[in-house]
Amino acid sequence: MFGGLRDFALSFLGRGEATLTVPSFDGALKPNQALESAETLLECDAPEDLATDGGKVYLADGASLGRLDGNGMTTIREFDRPITALASLPGGGIAVTLNGREVRVYSDAADATPSATFQGAGMHSINALAPAGDHALYATDGSATRNADEWAWDLMERGRSGRALRLDIKTGGITELAGNLRYAFGACGADGFALISESWRHRLIAVAPNGASKIVLSHLPVYPSRVSPARSGGWWLTAFIARTQLVEFVLREPAYRKRMMAEIDPEYWIVPRLSSGKSFKEPMQGAHLKTMGVVKPWAPPRSYGLVIRLDASFKPMFSLHSRVDGFNHGIVSAVESGDWLYMIAKGPRRVLRLPIEGLAKEFAA
Amino acid sequence: MREAITRLRYRYWPDHWLGEILSKRWTETAIPVFVLLIVGFWLSQSIHNFLSLSSLADTARQACEIGFIALGMALVVIVGGIDLSVGSMFALTDFCALYTLDVLGWPVPLVVLATIICGMLLGAVNGFLIGYLRLRAFITTLITLIIYRSAFDLLIQGYSNDIAAAFPDLPSWNFIGGGAVFGVPSVALLYIVIAIFGHIFLTRLRPGWHVTAIGGSRRSAYNSGVAVRRTIALCYVACGGLTAIGALFFAARLGTVGGDIGVGLEIIVLTATVLGGITLGGGRGSVAKSLVGTLIVLLIINGLTTLNARGGINRMVLAGILLTAAVIDIRWLKNRSRIISKVYVSPTYLALPPPPVTEIGGGGPFEQNDKLRDVALIGLGKIEAPEDVIFDRENNLYAGSRHGDIIRFFAPDYERMEVFAHIGGQPLGMAFDRSFNLYVCVGGMGLYRIAPDGKVEKATDETNRSLYSVNDDSRLRLADDLDITDNGLIFFSEATVRYEMSEWPMDGLEARGNGRIICYDTNTGKTHTVLRGLKFPNGICVASDGQSIFFAETWGCSIKRYWFEGPKKGVVETVIDNLPGYPDNINLASDGNYWLALVGMRSPALDLAWKMPGFRQRMSKRVPGDEWLFPNINTGCVVKFNEKGEILESYWDLHGLNHPMITSMREHRGYLYLGGISNNRIGRYRLQAADPNFAQYEKRWGLQ
Repeated sequence: MFGGLRDFALSFLGRGEATLTVPSFDGALKPNQALESAETLLECDAPEDLATDGGKVYLADGASLGRLDGNGMTTIREFDRPITALASLPGGGIAVTLNGREVRVYSDAADATPSATFQGAGMHSINALAPAGDHALYATDGSATRNADEWAWDLMERGRSGRALRLDIKTGGITELAGNLRYAFGACGADGFALISESWRHRLIAVAPNGASKIVLSHLPVYPSRVSPARSGGWWLTAFIARTQLVEFVLREPAYRKRMMAEIDPEYWIVPRLSSGKSFKEPMQGAHLKTMGVVKPWAPPRSYGLVIRLDASFKPMFSLHSRVDGFNHGIVSAVESGDWLYMIAKGPRRVLRLPIEGLAKEFAA
Repeated sequence: MREAITRLRYRYWPDHWLGEILSKRWTETAIPVFVLLIVGFWLSQSIHNFLSLSSLADTARQACEIGFIALGMALVVIVGGIDLSVGSMFALTDFCALYTLDVLGWPVPLVVLATIICGMLLGAVNGFLIGYLRLRAFITTLITLIIYRSAFDLLIQGYSNDIAAAFPDLPSWNFIGGGAVFGVPSVALLYIVIAIFGHIFLTRLRPGWHVTAIGGSRRSAYNSGVAVRRTIALCYVACGGLTAIGALFFAARLGTVGGDIGVGLEIIVLTATVLGGITLGGGRGSVAKSLVGTLIVLLIINGLTTLNARGGINRMVLAGILLTAAVIDIRWLKNRSRIISKVYVSPTYLALPPPPVTEIGGGGPFEQNDKLRDVALIGLGKIEAPEDVIFDRENNLYAGSRHGDIIRFFAPDYERMEVFAHIGGQPLGMAFDRSFNLYVCVGGMGLYRIAPDGKVEKATDETNRSLYSVNDDSRLRLADDLDITDNGLIFFSEATVRYEMSEWPMDGLEARGNGRIICYDTNTGKTHTVLRGLKFPNGICVASDGQSIFFAETWGCSIKRYWFEGPKKGVVETVIDNLPGYPDNINLASDGNYWLALVGMRSPALDLAWKMPGFRQRMSKRVPGDEWLFPNINTGCVVKFNEKGEILESYWDLHGLNHPMITSMREHRGYLYLGGISNNRIGRYRLQAADPNFAQYEKRWGLQ
């Protein structure tokens, strides 16, 4: 009873859980425009995920799987459903998720038949895959009710049905490592642990094979998404959308949220998007007011582009940004191959790349 | 159903009054008055005969004696000091009165004079030390408290028997002590006179303002040229004099010089002062507060005495009250503006129907296009915030800037510019009268007139005060756009009476009819309010019949027409409702139709929020202003409408590169000129099939 009273008091006073404060982009997250200067490798229809074995870079674009080369993409194969997650396996294999519900593993990307297939087990919106040792996969299932592309609904419904799974390729078994996650979006193996992005809680957790989890990075000013290993140790963490106080406020306003979801086109909701500024029907916030022809880059981001470089102990080292006045927003995937960092900016539907050398020096806090 | 209740609740319950009432200075007095009523009620219930005439008269005598001292204390506290020596001064002046009367046998007027001068001298010691030598008030008056008390003790040792032995029976002395006029005690009469003077002094006279200014900020007062030291010193002198007056009445009433006279008096008076709401620390206080505080304290003391409470308890209660009042005072002072800013914004219910289609391919007159993509730019980067643009007979272009200037661009190429006139406030709507004086609405200032030679004159900055408005709405806060009728009436809109120009988003958050239309008569110079309760009235244009005006209601997303004369005089009709955006200025087109600027476009999220006032209320409290949901004024367009209210065509800048926002447009000789209050440019767009000779005000005044 006291808990209920306390919750009521907190929500009435706007304190504790009910505070709307969003951490600022500071320290290693200090803003820059690095992503705006990135080279656009490719403009495609529906880029979704990248995977690499350290050399070749695979791209999932809608229902087609391709390989990046030189300055374009070579299509390897087409599926009948859109690909929602992609992983490159040790030994040359590849794993894809189709429409969030079916995971297929191919020993070779060009193989006609998959060497393993996972279905069922409540898989609904698998949105990230990563190798877990030689014969297993980590996967994140964003939501048990919403499809992978309907994450905005899950956010507005305050969904907490995300899961982290381990798929055993040899036995075909599926183990749930963690459940009740507030949208799991992004997995990566890390010394026997699974590194999982829990987006709506703005944090990164490490889950042990026995299910024990610990928070390794929290209080992010963004919603983290897929994560991939960096060659020199550490990780590349992407953040597909950023937090704003208005969204935090709407999340605490059930009546408005309900009516908004029922009455308004999702494009125009008060919710972070992968890209913005396309229509005047999008909600405008105070700082968005164009003054003397200029949009302030510090305005609250409806869409944002961010990749964070974490060191081996999960501390942010530096970050690459595309701010409110930029274009390369909605970075959902970043992988390192050769001397390059390849990224998908889902907002403008681009594949970007940046030379890694010098980034740390230029942008380190 | 729920929505209907919400609608009715916000329609009939004046939420906005709370903030407006709280921002009045008198609410600070209202709280002590409330306490006084409670105390009075409690005592009248628990003490028999409490409200009888004799009891009241007796209370009044005591109250006024202390009241004089409290007035003196109030003055000293307002100027930023404190006077702890009032008790000792009271005792000394009491002694002075009785000594001169009983021992020296002076006549009563001389006694009165001597006593008051004695009090003022005692106060002058404090005043000199604190005002001129700048000692700390607390320490200084604590020392004089001890010195005066010792002096009093020494004096009564020598003379108390002489005084006690004398029984002066002088009618005038007795009148001071116990006389009454029509049942009102003499002391109360004098108190009333002095209190009224004190009120006028503090609120209406220059020295009184100086006192408040010094208390509020000594340094600022000094920098403003106030004689700080002298004023402070005189306040202590006045405090001494007022204490002496109180002592005079006390002496006349009781005629004793007991050793404990005035002991602890400073606590009583200080409690009364703080309880009344006069802030320790200075700068805030009034006579009414002092009076209320005195009454509360006296009622409590008398009540406790009558209820047989012991002296210790009496004093403890008093001390407790002093502490509580001081705490409340400090907290209130610290949080007042925060509380007001939290409750001042009071959103209301506004439901708009779904907007008409604007999407490309959706058809209809609002279908977006890219006609304004290729506008030529005038003054790019050289002018900031040209809300409106206008042309004189030489085709020169005039536009306002946010630096408070009217800028003139010279024809024909508009490359060269100069400051035509400096006003000091943001110029908004503009219009030329028959002799080409430029009338300008200036945000925060009112309606101004600029002669062709550039001389600036105020036309009007006030109108009649509304009867039912809590805020004083006689001053113009946000004059917005105007037009001039054939008879020389200027109708101009005032967008909101609740906010300043920079605070327009708050008015948008409220979406209440806070605006009005005002008429200034150039023939008589008189101003009066014509229409009230409009939702951010903006553009104004005289209609072709010369008997009516069109006006835009920005938050109402509608255009209305008001007849100021003729058979339909006084009628308001809606011409266009449910625009897809927020209408701004209206101007005449060469084909007899009207141009309308849409300063921004509606977004579904805000349309929904306007139906949910509670949501917006919480947003205004908890989300910083930069993150509020705003009306989207980053995209706008120009439309043309006819008198029937039909939209004929629309002009868009699809990518919003040149003119993200359009607040006004003016057709001039085949071109349409575009202004925008957040732009740093003026647009020039070539109109197809427009009269190449049309110039609005030349045509208007029959020169074409």
